[in-house]
Amino acid sequence: MHSILIGALGGEGGGVLMNWIVEAARAHGLLVQATSVPGVAQRTGSTSYYIEMAENPAAVFALVPMPGRVDVVAVSELVEAARLMERGFVSPRRTLLVTSTSRVLTTAEKMQMGDGRFDSARILEAGASLAQKFVALDLDALARGAATMVSATLFGAMAGAGAFPWPRALCEQAIGANAASLAGFAAAFESAAAQTRNAAPPALEKPVEDAPPAPPALRGAIEALPPAMRMLAARGALRCADYQDDAYARSYVERLARLAGHAPVASPQRDLALEEAARRLALWMTYEDIPRVAALKTQPDRFARIRAEAQMKPEQILTVTEYLKPGADELADILPQKAGEAFLRRVERKGAPGFLGRGLHVRTTGVAGFLTMRALAQFARIRRRSLRFAREQKAIDVWLDGLCDILPQDADFAGALAQLPRLLKGYGETAARGRANYDRIFDSLVAPARKGPRDAARLRQAMAAAMADPDGKALAALLA
Amino acid sequence: MERSFASEIESLKRGEGEIFRGEGILAVTKALLQSGVSYVGGYQGAPVSHLLDVMVQAKEYMRELGVHVEACANEASAAAMLGASIAYPARGAVTWKSIVGTNVAADALSNLASPGVMGGALIIVGEDYGEGASVVQERTQAFAMKSALWLVDPRPNLPSIVRAVEKSFALSEVSNTPVILELRIRACHVEGEFVAKNNVVPALSAHRRAAPAPHDYDKLSHPPVTYAHERRKYAERMPAARRFILEEGLNETFAGKRDDVALIVQGGLYNALIRALQEIGLADADGQSDLPILALNVVYPLVPQEIVAFASPRKAVLVIEEGQPDYIERDIATILRRAGVDTALHGKDMLPMAGEYTSEILVGGLAQFIERHVPQLANAGAQNYMDEIAALRQTAANLLGAPAPARPPGFCIGCPERPFFAALKLVEKERGPMHVSTDIGCHSFATFAPFSFGNSILGYGMSLASSAGVQSFSRTRPIAIMGDGGFWHNGLLSGVASRLLNGSDGVLVVLKNGYTSATGTQELVSTPHGAERRAAGAASATATELTIEHTLQGMGVNWIRNVHTYRVGDVKNALEDAMSSSYAGLKVIVAEGECQLERQRRIKPLRAAALARGERMVRTRYGVDDETCTGDHSCIRLSGCPTLTVKTSRDPLKSDPVAHVENGCVGCGLCGEAAHAATLCPSFYRADIVSNPSRFDRLRAALSRLVTKAA
Repeated sequence: MHSILIGALGGEGGGVLMNWIVEAARAHGLLVQATSVPGVAQRTGSTSYYIEMAENPAAVFALVPMPGRVDVVAVSELVEAARLMERGFVSPRRTLLVTSTSRVLTTAEKMQMGDGRFDSARILEAGASLAQKFVALDLDALARGAATMVSATLFGAMAGAGAFPWPRALCEQAIGANAASLAGFAAAFESAAAQTRNAAPPALEKPVEDAPPAPPALRGAIEALPPAMRMLAARGALRCADYQDDAYARSYVERLARLAGHAPVASPQRDLALEEAARRLALWMTYEDIPRVAALKTQPDRFARIRAEAQMKPEQILTVTEYLKPGADELADILPQKAGEAFLRRVERKGAPGFLGRGLHVRTTGVAGFLTMRALAQFARIRRRSLRFAREQKAIDVWLDGLCDILPQDADFAGALAQLPRLLKGYGETAARGRANYDRIFDSLVAPARKGPRDAARLRQAMAAAMADPDGKALAALLA
Repeated sequence: MERSFASEIESLKRGEGEIFRGEGILAVTKALLQSGVSYVGGYQGAPVSHLLDVMVQAKEYMRELGVHVEACANEASAAAMLGASIAYPARGAVTWKSIVGTNVAADALSNLASPGVMGGALIIVGEDYGEGASVVQERTQAFAMKSALWLVDPRPNLPSIVRAVEKSFALSEVSNTPVILELRIRACHVEGEFVAKNNVVPALSAHRRAAPAPHDYDKLSHPPVTYAHERRKYAERMPAARRFILEEGLNETFAGKRDDVALIVQGGLYNALIRALQEIGLADADGQSDLPILALNVVYPLVPQEIVAFASPRKAVLVIEEGQPDYIERDIATILRRAGVDTALHGKDMLPMAGEYTSEILVGGLAQFIERHVPQLANAGAQNYMDEIAALRQTAANLLGAPAPARPPGFCIGCPERPFFAALKLVEKERGPMHVSTDIGCHSFATFAPFSFGNSILGYGMSLASSAGVQSFSRTRPIAIMGDGGFWHNGLLSGVASRLLNGSDGVLVVLKNGYTSATGTQELVSTPHGAERRAAGAASATATELTIEHTLQGMGVNWIRNVHTYRVGDVKNALEDAMSSSYAGLKVIVAEGECQLERQRRIKPLRAAALARGERMVRTRYGVDDETCTGDHSCIRLSGCPTLTVKTSRDPLKSDPVAHVENGCVGCGLCGEAAHAATLCPSFYRADIVSNPSRFDRLRAALSRLVTKAA
């Protein structure tokens, strides 16, 4: 008796794969039975297919896989592999686990306000230690490379890893005359076979990060910072220079130097705090306003990137339309401080002018749309005098003062505080919500901590609560 | 229809001695034809949809054979079809998903069971129970028992299933009683083979017509004959059935190596039982069990002498009966008690009352049974297995660190129902919480994240009816949502007619996508047909199909709004209007958008042909600018589209992943609409990609490039 459990998502062609295996088994002279629970799982939910085969004509086939007694577990998506391990289907005594390393994120992971993604590395480690034999490949990339579906590459990976008691030719015969499927099958077969030969535990490829060259004028200042800060400081300085000008980048590095001046002797906690501060300060100082968005939307390499992402052919023509809906607040933000305040007072009295709060479609690949966006980008020139700039710089200084104050006393708390500006993100209402949460946490947990007792764990909990739901329920409950 | 059965139709034509290969439910279809069935009806639903779908697609061949196939409007109409077998020697079969379908059919079933049948009447139910079930967990057994219908639960392999279908017709005729054949979800989808027979031309059909039956009061389900029917059920029909079951050997006894203890199992669980016995060393590789087994392929009625003969020589018997309550076990207890047999009886005391009986669960029950009655046999196998699996799961949990996130089914890419729920979410944000009565259908995926809507589900087409009580005391108007499938299945009468009769307030949303999509896009009376589809081109074909709107107007609904679901702002306004209107009667919003699966199926070949001809063609997809996205994911909380996902930002300074649109995007436009309607963020853009551009396109692009310097 040979048993195979396939884990997949509805709509991925798992049924096709099941039928290929059944056909190859029959061609090999085996008795075979296969079944599945499609139902509504066919609509993108997780589903499974189960196959049993035997030479014995008297064999009684089961319809449900038995935990710990499955010979081959093959999965088209990494978290589905975790799910089958969780349920006990992958046993060190007998199971060959073949999985794709690719992820199709679940709604639960995607909808988080921060990073809700399951840790792929842990799944790979679990597979390596739970399975008798483990093969993991990016089957999605292989499928895309061959312009086919993951069913074909999973079939190839299974065959290459030795999941079947029949020769490769029978698999290809089952696939038939579909060139793309055959190519996908072959590519995955070779990779899986190579991985099986090498017996190297599969691992995720980690992108290597090189430190970018810092602006020449600031190189010395950045080199003078503690090592933990340097890489992010260089990136941050570049970002500030791109956002405003070299002077602005200099003020970024000076702020970091000021914090570094308060740093106690090196410790992992201190380094984490410094690193996080360099990251958050850069993002905060380059907050997204109308001229920033307009500038980013009209960068020439953006259109090239969109063409590449959409896999366009050179002769095809691209039109890009932006969905913009600027509000009164966002307009006031970029006006000179006095004018902005006056404008907001007027809006309060008489309501916003008609063109605000209305959805605009701007074609940035067209002349008029492009020039409009370029004109808006010019507001960056008066940014230093703008209403929002003043507000943000003031808040940044309050945060930085707090950090300088607390870092020498409590590096752990400072690390949490360095992370606090993570709550400041988004546009419109989202931004307002983030700012309100930030203020609330700062006033209730950070301000008192400058003198009194400090609870870094509670500060982290408050940040997690602020990111837990968009309605602020968790945070309110925590701070109540 | 979602799936094409072209190759399966060919296998339905297999003749004597040929091998039929395919799915369990299609083997049932073939067995119906081999049994000379005159008419077939049913209502779609997993796992039995394919039975009818293949017949609907095989129209030509069915016409040739003279088999009438009817896609019924609901299960009640399917059950009532069997009325043809009351007074005519015509064999008929109907199918639906149980328990829910059987509930809907119950009225007709009772009135069919009372007079009984002359021609064989077979009801094939998909017993949607256990893993993968999409309905409430109850058993068809209750209906069989209360109406005195016979219930067949065959061993789950194709030859057994086919034999069960053929014998069920004979059983039905010999006992004048309709028979229910239940198949669990995995048995319906099991891939296997059997040796075919020739198809049999039906006794009565369009080719062989019958004269109207004479008036016979005994064939009516109406007093006074119903008293006689009741007596006859137990005095004549059941004994006839029991004789047939015994004579034909419908239940199977498998001898074991020992005879002091034995097992009685529902036929459908036989394979799971053998696998469990093999695991603990009580069955060999051929499936030969050490313990004798009585496999009940007919679970109602039981045959007392068969049960007594099997159980009386034993010390103890374990009854393996999936689902609650323990109908079969109690039946067996009564039989043994009446016969004065003192064999110890076990079942639900050793096995769980609720839930699916997998081999793993059975190992636990068997271990207890052996331990109690044959302790010398009690090897360590069962305990070892359970310990091993518990340890395995614990190790996996430790290694993974956190439970794998749930992945329930959801709306397809480009589903037109998603934007409706995005709009509803925006309304909720402005107006505060509201009571949403939801229903059965694709739209019930909105009960899952990120939408999480719904206060009650009362059945298919029941949402409006279920809000009648709530609206009498709720501070805000409750909203009832149903699909067009639910509307025609039940909602029109149970909901709309009832509300109009009472002249009371209410808000109903009908999501009109043109098909019963969750079951595999079967057609409805309001499905857009040829002319509408051709006229629609790439647009939604349901916009011009107005059967639902006309029906509502004809019934007297005066407040109707028709909106296209992708106009999120319009949908939001229509909902606001309905919620705040001073009009006190029933308000109906028909939110229209053609099922994306069907629309894509229609327009893909059109587009491919046009591209091949070198015609200008525009493909639209959406995208997110990595640089301006701040990683809050509000957009995802308003959509849940599979292609709207997150990825690590290209900017190493950003630690939270940014939103990202994958290439599967079909350009439905919800992202942009939602960004506008909810004032989200400026990161979304629409990319229109022109293939085979015209000279004007090229000229305009060249001029623009002079300014934009874009590629």
